[in-house]
Amino acid sequence: MRPVFLLLSLLLLAFPAFALDGQQILQKVDRNLEPESYESYRKLIDIQPDGSRKEYVLWTAKKGRDKVVALFLSPPADKGRVTLRLGENMWLYMPSVGKPIRITSLQSVTGSVFNNADILRIDYTAEYNVEKAEEAGDQYVLDLKAKTGEVAYDRLRMWVDKRHLLPVKIECYAASAMLLKTLHFSDIKDFGGGIKRPAQLETDSPLYRGYKSVMLWSGLKKASFRDEVFTLNYLPRVEELRK
Amino acid sequence: MTPSQGRRCWPLVLLLLVAGARAEEYSFDVSKYEKKPFELNGYAELKAEHFALNRDGAFYKLNYFGEPQRESLDRATETLELAGKLRQGIATFDFRAHADASQDPLADARDSRIYEAAFSLRPKPGVTVEAGKRALSWGKGYAFNPIGFVQRAKDPNDPQLAREGYVLADGDFIWNPGGALQTVAFTPVLVPTTNDLNSDFGASGHANAAFKFYALYRDTDLDFAWQAKGSRPARYGFDFARNLKTNLEIHGEWARILQFAKPVTDPSGRVTVETGDATSYLLGLRYLSQGNTTYIAEVYHNGTGYSEEVADSFYQLVDAAFAQPQPNPLLQRALTLGRGSYARPFAGENYLYFRAQHPDAFGIVYFTPAVFAMLNLDDRSFQVTPELQYTGFNNFELRLRLYLLHGGSSTDFGEKANSRKLEFYARYYF
Repeated sequence: MRPVFLLLSLLLLAFPAFALDGQQILQKVDRNLEPESYESYRKLIDIQPDGSRKEYVLWTAKKGRDKVVALFLSPPADKGRVTLRLGENMWLYMPSVGKPIRITSLQSVTGSVFNNADILRIDYTAEYNVEKAEEAGDQYVLDLKAKTGEVAYDRLRMWVDKRHLLPVKIECYAASAMLLKTLHFSDIKDFGGGIKRPAQLETDSPLYRGYKSVMLWSGLKKASFRDEVFTLNYLPRVEELRK
Repeated sequence: MTPSQGRRCWPLVLLLLVAGARAEEYSFDVSKYEKKPFELNGYAELKAEHFALNRDGAFYKLNYFGEPQRESLDRATETLELAGKLRQGIATFDFRAHADASQDPLADARDSRIYEAAFSLRPKPGVTVEAGKRALSWGKGYAFNPIGFVQRAKDPNDPQLAREGYVLADGDFIWNPGGALQTVAFTPVLVPTTNDLNSDFGASGHANAAFKFYALYRDTDLDFAWQAKGSRPARYGFDFARNLKTNLEIHGEWARILQFAKPVTDPSGRVTVETGDATSYLLGLRYLSQGNTTYIAEVYHNGTGYSEEVADSFYQLVDAAFAQPQPNPLLQRALTLGRGSYARPFAGENYLYFRAQHPDAFGIVYFTPAVFAMLNLDDRSFQVTPELQYTGFNNFELRLRLYLLHGGSSTDFGEKANSRKLEFYARYYF
């Protein structure tokens, strides 16, 4: 009887170690997607049902878990526009207007399927708690719930590749449980400096049937920036940060 | 390769073709976007306007006095705007130049201006000092900015258009204290005036010190602005902006001008100057609906504006001036006042601004129908402007607008020079 009791006790003690820690997985996903502070170039492509497309190129800088600034480099009509995100606060600066205006996460500065929260994404762990984590073959499936009502999507369902601990697919839901969009990650690429992550993200939405938006990454690398860079007064000068 | 081997290879060939096509489909050559020491961009625009003139309006009578009387006017305008930037180390020189030419049956006009041309030094990210011509833009309002103390008034019909600046020296000092007070910034400004420099800012011979203090405190933007007495009376004010939800933003401004002098006429043309503190304020909302329509609404009180009763005296003066044989002394007074403070685009006291826009309407991406309206809350006259915009052609913007003005006699929009205006422009960005 004693050996059986001992074995059962050991099993019970060991159980938490085998249980999935969704929060840890999400933290690793965050860091595998991007270093905490980095710079990168991104191209956003909007594809219309007839196949015609419009492209935007942005330079992005991020610091910490929730400070992001993005500078539009193309097309000419948008060149020089800057968007800033500090937590759930977002602003758009247009050179012709000369002052930043507040924008909301559900709007889209590009008018595409990608909204401002997608374009100025901060760490998932900064915005979401993991409510449930389970295994499905070679993937983890995480159910995420927004920490506050100010987050663009109330719930996320994230499929994570077990080997790379990188997202494969994310479904984004409103508080009403309506599916808003699905993000598909692909083309895992070695960016150097220990950064290996998907270089391509496609999204489709039942709200925009027939339309598709694609995000491509290039030149993603660790970088450090001073806090003053992530302020409204600095927005007219963000271009100076690019090397 | 045997025929059967060839058949076996087809799936591989197809896969390679598809993979190649996909790679081509989403190529991204970042070298095209390398930072350059000198950059030049801008736009060229062709605009056509048709004015349906308001023959009974006070401002029609004043603006078209001595001209052949007409029911309508067509105008074509060509505009070129260039912006450039030259960088060297911590120094930057940037400029924005504007030139336009317009033709209508009454006149051909040309205008070219340097909107901005400033040299700035940035020894570290939190410190910038600059001197030159600069268009500052203070305030959180979309259509109106009561705390825009050192800038030219924006056109509420086109609030996002670039404006001409003033020659000034300014600095920008940023701190990040951390905690609830996330950011603090201090922007001191000097706007000197002489007979040749900033002559339209106010009386010459003043340095005109001003500053703006900005703070981001607990997710709320706060600004406090001040301008010393100089070319203009002293003034101070504040603004705020905050996102209440993921789709709702609120903003406001409040400003007080000390001892503001306002010329006021009675129906007989006797002009007196009323002097007193003028308080202006604004409260606004920006809301994004579930259907992706953006609504902007602002209520604006213009403390420097004319009440319905005072404006009515001016309109009576104009009526009396044109009822008498011309020329007459009343007419000269009316013409002088009609070029001054009574002629400001929004010279009333209380306004409501409303705008609704819906991108990608009717399933057409980059097609944005919108409508905006301005209502004089005192005399209930208004302007409604439906708008269609299309940006689907690369680097082109097409916009069609119809301005519809409505108001009775002696009302703000009922006395304007035109009762309707149709406007179309094609703008090419480069």
